[in-house]
Amino acid sequence: MDADEVYRHEFPVRGGDFANAGTAARRIKQLLKDMGLDPQTVRRVAIVSYEAEMNVIMYAWEARIALAVSPREVHITVDDRGPGIPDVEQAMTEGYSTATAEMRELGFGAGMGLPNIKKNADVFTIDSAAGRGTRLDIIIRTNGHAT
Amino acid sequence: MRTPDKHCHAIHITKDRCIGCVHCLAACPTKAIRVRDGKARIIDDLCIDCGECLRVCPYDAVHSHTTSFAALDAFDYKVAIPSTVLYGQFGSTVLPTEILSALRRIGFDEVYDLSSICELNCAAVEEYLNEHPRPRPFITSTCPVVVRIIQRHYPTLCGQILPIEPPREIGAKILRTILPKALGIPPEKIGIIHITPCPAKMVSINSPATLNKSYLDGAISIRDIFPQILGALRKGEEDALMRHLFPETQFSGIGMGWSLAGGETRGLKNHRGVAVSGVEDTMRVLDQIEGGLLQDIDILECTVCPDGCVGGPLEVENRFLAKSRILQLVAAAGERAVVDPKDVSRLYHKNFLSFDHPATPVESRPLDSDPVKAIRKAKRRDRIFADLPRKDCGVCGAPDCRTLADDIVRGLARLEDCPFIKTSRTTKEKR
Repeated sequence: MDADEVYRHEFPVRGGDFANAGTAARRIKQLLKDMGLDPQTVRRVAIVSYEAEMNVIMYAWEARIALAVSPREVHITVDDRGPGIPDVEQAMTEGYSTATAEMRELGFGAGMGLPNIKKNADVFTIDSAAGRGTRLDIIIRTNGHAT
Repeated sequence: MRTPDKHCHAIHITKDRCIGCVHCLAACPTKAIRVRDGKARIIDDLCIDCGECLRVCPYDAVHSHTTSFAALDAFDYKVAIPSTVLYGQFGSTVLPTEILSALRRIGFDEVYDLSSICELNCAAVEEYLNEHPRPRPFITSTCPVVVRIIQRHYPTLCGQILPIEPPREIGAKILRTILPKALGIPPEKIGIIHITPCPAKMVSINSPATLNKSYLDGAISIRDIFPQILGALRKGEEDALMRHLFPETQFSGIGMGWSLAGGETRGLKNHRGVAVSGVEDTMRVLDQIEGGLLQDIDILECTVCPDGCVGGPLEVENRFLAKSRILQLVAAAGERAVVDPKDVSRLYHKNFLSFDHPATPVESRPLDSDPVKAIRKAKRRDRIFADLPRKDCGVCGAPDCRTLADDIVRGLARLEDCPFIKTSRTTKEKR
């Protein structure tokens, strides 16, 4: 990838910051529209970044969401400091959730977060260390057709 | 995908009155206003006709292109179908039936109440939701601004707009179907006019998003026609007594509250509706839906005016009093249905109530049509923004520093437009 062709930006997200929930995802969506990406790609990135941002707010202490956009693909990396996920396979199961009643009351924690990210991504990797944090690597190709 | 219509806006700025202050700049939710050469200008592609600028202008320099009463002379037969908001504009002793009668006395040949059509629409929405379990949530189309926001800013949600026309169009369509035959007057000589607190209704009439042609001929602002109605009410005491004793219109309690936030979905029996009002909150919720949330909601009612249409910028009474008056009328009319569900079902299955076509996405405004150049411009925009003071003062003519940076990379403004940048340069030069 030619460095000149890549737009990069980082968005800090704080755990427990429900007041600003969705801010990073909204900014990312606007940026992609400004760069002329097609609406379906924008929507997939919107879903992925919203879920990823909410995961940080609900479970982690802090994170950086790094966005890299080229005409071919959108690359999102979420690196959080947090408790990590003890059983990644279980967390990837639809409907599995450790969300509290309060989170569910807000409409989150239906256990669809990580599976939904995977469903909308062309490439998805997750790496988690209990007690330290979780790293998500997500690529969405602008001509891809996931979901 | 459509390109935006250029001349379909209902909001315009009266230059003589505009002093080039920053009130409208800051209030515009889509950042569609710039001050150039000391006057506010609206960028057509970005304006959604919400009327926020009209509300905040201290100099009365923002006006709406609604229909003038004199323009109705073009029709042999004039029919008014007022928004139910009109019933909330007068004191609590003035009944809706008197208001309809006053409209006749000021020159309308016939006047029809829309509350029963609102009830009809609600029943049709219920039927549509029963037949279409997916997607969720559907979004109602009553507020023309919401439809335009979706077309421009949430294009992937166009398919989630529930394809039943709003009551004003259904009412006009019914009248347009029956009146020419009943009266023996050619259809083009019958003028069907909405009376409304909303400038955007004019846009939905002139360039409808989901119909080939609107069934309405115009929309008169409540603010414009209010003095005449008031005059007719004052002169018509005997008439008022008649209307009290022999009310000729049957009002629907289910439909009467349509203009209050939540009014559209209140009558639904088997579906979960959520009502959102205000332009910021509407956009926040649409963001959540585009992000895949809120799929446990069946129908979302969004209106960009605070508290619903009752908070429209062209009303006269303040919205809290208007709301309280309409709630009185809802209670007085009761919960009894006035529309036969069988009739609704028949019209529904004849597609009489449907859109002619779905709302289509309107092209967004990328920084450049070439993706590589657009990416370069986005990077340059970040660098420019980093140098700006972030005071969002509006002196440059853009509503905030971020928008100025955006204008600069689009070639619509210069860095020197920022008064703070100028100052620092001058200081350097002096040294």
